[in-house]
Amino acid sequence: MVESLKDKVAIVGVGCTKFGDLYDHSLQDLMVEAAQMAYEDAGIDPELIEAAWLGTFSPGFGGGKASITLADALRLYGKPITRVENFCATGTDAFRNACLAIAAGLYEIVLVIGAEKLKDRPVRGLRREGVHPYLDAGSTAPGIFALAANRYFHEFSMDRHVLAKVAVKNHHNGALNPKAHFQREVTEEQVLNAPIIAYPFGLYDCCPTTDGAAAAILCRADRARSFRDDPVFVKGIGLAVMTGKPYFDPTFDYIGFRSTKLAAQQAYEMAGIKNPRQEIDLAEVHDCFTWTEITNYEDLGFCKKGEGRYFIEEGHSTLKGDLPVNPSGGLKSFGHPVGASGVRMIYEIVTQLRGQAGPRQVPGAELGLVHNLGGPGSVACVVILGR
Amino acid sequence: MIGITAHAVYIPRHRISRAMIASAFGMRALTGERTAVNFDEDSLTLATHAVQWGLRYVSSCHGLFFASTTAPYLEKLNAGLIAAACDLDDGITVADFGGSVRSGTIALSCALDSVAASDLTNIVIAAADVRDAPPESVEEQIFGDAGAAIVVGRDRVIAKYIGRATVYDDFLDIVRRDKDERVTSFASKFTFQRGYQEAVIKALSKLLKGVGLRPEEIDKLILPPVDRESHLKLAAQAGFQPNQIQRTFFEHIGITGSSMPFLLLSAALEEARPNDKLLLVGYGDGADALLFEVTDHIDQFQVDHPIEEQVSWAIHFKSYELFRKAREFFRHHEDNLEISNILYGREERQNIRLYGTQCEECGTRQFPMTRVCIACRSTESLKEVRLGRRGRVFTFTTDTLTPSPIPPTVMAVVDLDDGGRLYLQMTDIEPESIRIGMPVELTLRRLNEGRGIHHYYWKCRPEER
Repeated sequence: MVESLKDKVAIVGVGCTKFGDLYDHSLQDLMVEAAQMAYEDAGIDPELIEAAWLGTFSPGFGGGKASITLADALRLYGKPITRVENFCATGTDAFRNACLAIAAGLYEIVLVIGAEKLKDRPVRGLRREGVHPYLDAGSTAPGIFALAANRYFHEFSMDRHVLAKVAVKNHHNGALNPKAHFQREVTEEQVLNAPIIAYPFGLYDCCPTTDGAAAAILCRADRARSFRDDPVFVKGIGLAVMTGKPYFDPTFDYIGFRSTKLAAQQAYEMAGIKNPRQEIDLAEVHDCFTWTEITNYEDLGFCKKGEGRYFIEEGHSTLKGDLPVNPSGGLKSFGHPVGASGVRMIYEIVTQLRGQAGPRQVPGAELGLVHNLGGPGSVACVVILGR
Repeated sequence: MIGITAHAVYIPRHRISRAMIASAFGMRALTGERTAVNFDEDSLTLATHAVQWGLRYVSSCHGLFFASTTAPYLEKLNAGLIAAACDLDDGITVADFGGSVRSGTIALSCALDSVAASDLTNIVIAAADVRDAPPESVEEQIFGDAGAAIVVGRDRVIAKYIGRATVYDDFLDIVRRDKDERVTSFASKFTFQRGYQEAVIKALSKLLKGVGLRPEEIDKLILPPVDRESHLKLAAQAGFQPNQIQRTFFEHIGITGSSMPFLLLSAALEEARPNDKLLLVGYGDGADALLFEVTDHIDQFQVDHPIEEQVSWAIHFKSYELFRKAREFFRHHEDNLEISNILYGREERQNIRLYGTQCEECGTRQFPMTRVCIACRSTESLKEVRLGRRGRVFTFTTDTLTPSPIPPTVMAVVDLDDGGRLYLQMTDIEPESIRIGMPVELTLRRLNEGRGIHHYYWKCRPEER
């Protein structure tokens, strides 16, 4: 690493819409809502925005794959706007690119929006694009993660009961969060008795498909205090891309994700973190499926490979634990509007670091982690934020 | 010497009891069960599997003939697709035969003539049918689905070809017009006598006279039936004793159209001893009779999957509706796939012949084909390699979200025995029986329909080892 991003970029405003089945909102409506909340939060005149990044996976109607989707929604014309798409790590990668531009000294104040409207299409699950008609035939999002979960179960003699604990925890946190798609508790029994979607995942092991948007205003660190007294600083960022077809990779052990490990390594090195378990106070991680959260504990270095079950069983990742994970309720409660999720996680960590998270506040939070995981564990982005 | 050098039968794993078919209509049930295709099977896939097995026993193949009345393509060579799936050289002779359930023995006759007239060593003749009869017809209970392959050649012959006789007969027995999906049967006492009996006895007499043998000198009469007992009546009429008649597996399989003579021939060869005289009959719009004499090589020849073993390895459809759905789903289903003959053409070697890449630098065998090694990133020493067709399940899932006519879809990551890892749908399995480490074999199946094309690709199925 030639240069570090550490403490060069600050977040001075964040916004997040309610997540859910937002049938009366368009993608543009969601972007406008999230952006206005972020402007207000930062107390900033939108005219000061110099550049913008939009993270969205499947923009659908009104704009399509180009940056005009954001430009037209906000009437933000004549400025450099870039649309970013990187599987389910789209939101954090849009954020990462915005950070790079500020650190490079090109801009002082920029906007990042992650937005997704999955519920405009009457289909179950995610619509998959760009898949091979033969080689990928039959693969679904829960299916490709279930391949890993079953191999992991085989290696570490585990079963669905461990997964249920993750669902119960994240539903509990979500019940405390008015912006969550699901705001209700579930029991282990409910989780285990739900219909199977892709074995070993039942309905409650899967995050829902959802609409939502989140936004962040970033500025050069030295200008942060001119906007507010409690800015949050970017301490480290990592992005790692592995094969998009791990199921054909004969070198893959299928018990965790190399992308997460490598992205975390990059971010920890940048942030100067030696012992993540001790140093990080809370984490928003990519729990697209309950098992993904278990492997995330391990791949992010919170515990050893194969010991993720104890991390949840012993309560370390609960709101009252020593390293609360997904205090927001996670993808489990928020759903996963693909491009929105990463920025929504950043919103949560910023809210927590400012001490504004209400009943789900993690006391004394100083250093938080955001983790997005895209494709079949192919793309991971890790962001470390601190006071 | 020319004759049979190998044989294989492929019986689809699914069954339906005749009682279940009958109860759907409140009609009288025949005893036993019939074989039935899974939703992803058709005559081409049954034949491909039979050829894949049959070619295990021979070292070369110079021709592939495909015989069926239910070939999936009316314009496009079905035999060519089967040959490609078996990765046969593009210089071999391939041909489709059809028009009658006698197409199997017609193709066999042509193959024997080709071998006799040239220096070709082995020609494989694959016969398969997935015939559909109208719901509520007796034929729906009588018919079964199966594929079979016979290899003829001149090296290590297990049954020497002696001679044959043929008659054609412009007669109406079972017919299907170009616009029909299902057969029309004229089965009756008249049809039995004037059609089946007359043509077969004519062909038998002609052959026996030609080779100077009497019925009692034949060890096995291999006579495809047209219903449960018809062949026994006919054989008696022609002067054969019950112990000379090859049994027909009617209780478990049914009448399988073009593949029936081959299936029975294969059964006879499983039990044959040196010097046995086997008399094979094909019936349909006339009759063929072919005489073979078993050689000493039969003692070294053993099929990997005997018919009895395949008969007992069954999955029963849970309802008549699922049995019908499996036969009809792809007939009416069209997917709007983003695919053209461009992708098909560019990737035929990979997707149909199933080639991967071997890295000579680090030894990693990989799929899909690549220009850069996934393990060591070498670009210099990569070679195309034909992947094996057997492996073990590394991991799996049973997915209900994947659209399927009969969910759930079992998806498997398979480590091939000879190296390489594939991600495939698993078929012919009861989903709850899948296990990591389970042995599987690859099987070409109909994956989808769309853009005017049947889309064939590889799946895996459990293998008894």
